[in-house]
Amino acid sequence: MTESAAAEKPASRYYTEPSRIQVGDLDVAYRRKGSGEPVMFLHGAGTTRLWLPFYERMSESVDFIAPEHPGFGETAFPDWLDGWSDLILHYRDLLDALELDRVHLIGFSLGGWLASELAVYFPERLKSLTLITPIGISIEGAPRANLFAMPPEAIPEMLFSGDFLPYVDFLPNPNSLDDIVNAYGELGTFARLTWTRGYNPKLERHLSNVDVPTLVVGASDDWIVPNVYADRFAELIPGAKLERIPNTGHAAIVQEPDRAAELISGFIEGVAR
Amino acid sequence: MNKLQFYSLMFMPYPFIPPAADLPSTWVNLPNSLYDPKVGHRLYNEFLELNVLTERLGYDGVLVNEHHQTAYGTMPSPNIMASYIVAKTERIKVGVIGNALPLHGNPLRVAEEIAMLDVISGGRMISGFVRGTGNEYFSYGIDPSTSRERFWEAHDLILKAWTEPGPFAWEGKYFNLPFVNPWPQPLQQPHPPIWLPGFASLETIDEAAKRHYTFMQVFSPRVVLKKALDTYRRLAEEKYGYEAKRENLGAAILIYVAETDEQAHREARPHITWLFREGLKHPNYFAGPPGYQSQASFRNFLGTIIEKGIPDIYDLQYEYLIDNGYAIVGSPDTVIEELTKLTDDLGTGVVTGAGGQWGAMPHWMAIKNMTLMAEEVMPHFREPDGKPMWAKEERLGKHTLTEHSAQVGKPKIDPSIPWGDDGMRIDPRIAHLPELVDEAVAEYER
Repeated sequence: MTESAAAEKPASRYYTEPSRIQVGDLDVAYRRKGSGEPVMFLHGAGTTRLWLPFYERMSESVDFIAPEHPGFGETAFPDWLDGWSDLILHYRDLLDALELDRVHLIGFSLGGWLASELAVYFPERLKSLTLITPIGISIEGAPRANLFAMPPEAIPEMLFSGDFLPYVDFLPNPNSLDDIVNAYGELGTFARLTWTRGYNPKLERHLSNVDVPTLVVGASDDWIVPNVYADRFAELIPGAKLERIPNTGHAAIVQEPDRAAELISGFIEGVAR
Repeated sequence: MNKLQFYSLMFMPYPFIPPAADLPSTWVNLPNSLYDPKVGHRLYNEFLELNVLTERLGYDGVLVNEHHQTAYGTMPSPNIMASYIVAKTERIKVGVIGNALPLHGNPLRVAEEIAMLDVISGGRMISGFVRGTGNEYFSYGIDPSTSRERFWEAHDLILKAWTEPGPFAWEGKYFNLPFVNPWPQPLQQPHPPIWLPGFASLETIDEAAKRHYTFMQVFSPRVVLKKALDTYRRLAEEKYGYEAKRENLGAAILIYVAETDEQAHREARPHITWLFREGLKHPNYFAGPPGYQSQASFRNFLGTIIEKGIPDIYDLQYEYLIDNGYAIVGSPDTVIEELTKLTDDLGTGVVTGAGGQWGAMPHWMAIKNMTLMAEEVMPHFREPDGKPMWAKEERLGKHTLTEHSAQVGKPKIDPSIPWGDDGMRIDPRIAHLPELVDEAVAEYER
């Protein structure tokens, strides 16, 4: 291990102490609540260390498991994390460690790319796939926002497509050195995964062979990943359904946790039945 | 030994841009439609003329560096600049400080180009290696979180390519080359002197001290410079068991000298102001992208900035720059006094940025600055003969053919070509001379 991504515990009222599980040489932080169908949630490039209202809603109907990626939140950055294959294999190993044979997989943003790759490489481990405002592909003429190339204080507005004041509890505190350092560390991991190329040029072709029930959830006005990305994912994956949540930006699950949970748990219930 | 070595260090700015205050940055995304190549033609040629002039003025060396996609400095390929300077000079040391190793797909190219320059120049090159600023990682699409690892792997590869016989295979994490075998090899043996410019990073200072490289502290407050040089000396002594040499302790400081203190400030202030306030307008998100520093260094860096209330570099006022030693501006007496503090109090043996052109400084004013530096300041730090270090040494590459013939002699192997089909070979240099060919054939047949 090189360094811990997490600094001090954040002051946000949504912070909860994580559980821990050993995966290979890595001590992985995760949060888990509820019972029923096992659902694993893969987070994006932020909103770590928190138990989000969306998670709480989901946990009312399923066994909701939210691990933190290597180099995010309270999971340290391992020196072996060099690219996507390392991350994909790490998640197979995490499923093994949790003794979960098959799960409903949800991926949000960066997590959507990761969930897509897992559906490509380990479809036998998936009961269903849900992608929320995912990245992972490139669409000509629809550039994604470059979060590295903007002042950190500009990011919240981009995440919520406008007024972010109602959501400051979900964001790093710009007056906290710990929060800033933690965000710098997480963006460093994000850079490791996306700087050289913010998409996988093979993913489009790979997704056309995915045979897993799939739901794609788009925002109504995403300023980070243009709306056409959700459309395109839904076209690429055979039989995928597309839903859009009104009045949302990229962080749709933070803005409309009830609506998002209702949609996604309904989909999972339908698949499980 | 001279007490202080003087190097010019200029950046080839393109100052004809809108106010930086109205721009997000003068790096990375400054629209290149603002660049007029006709203006650039004049700038490059005046700039190169200044660099060439350093030899006749008696500088110890002339330095160029690498930056990309910025009005601050338009030398994306410093080796091309060095090639011009090498061609127009005879004796002066020429330094590329440096090639930004992590930015380049194949570090072998750097090994080859510096070796070429070293052979062409007669062994006058200084090879600096840098990581490049954070901005450059945007411009070149290189993941900043791999910067340090890429830097050291490239460094190790280049050093091995220069010092171990090829071919050998390199199978690294970032570079994979089945045949490392660069032609040519450097003239200076085992390799040209290596400089590591840095910003007081403990890791860089430690690596420099370990390998006896010259560490050059880039523009920074005097307290930071002092701490960096003290650290080098301490590490050399305590960790590596030797006494650091003065010529391995460098400082980049802008020096402007004029007839009086007042006149010097009148002339220097606007251009030093341009360099910092306009040319260095690179917001932190460009200059320090995620992973460019370790999380621990970032915490340390940001904590200090918050605690001490240090402004962004492009908000530094001229008075602050002068008071904190980023620049030395004044009459010859003032400049000599300030430089004496550097040599006597800090033990600095190398100063770079010693006169030159910065910002929108006109060509003539830069010549005036450099001339006064050479005439009034540098001799004070030299032995009585006033000679730069290179004038006291024999040049490795011989300047005249007679010296070459007398001292280097003939190559170890004669060239040959097949002659006839019975295995005879002949030196192609005599093949056009029938008498000598006949003689060779007769000898072969005997």
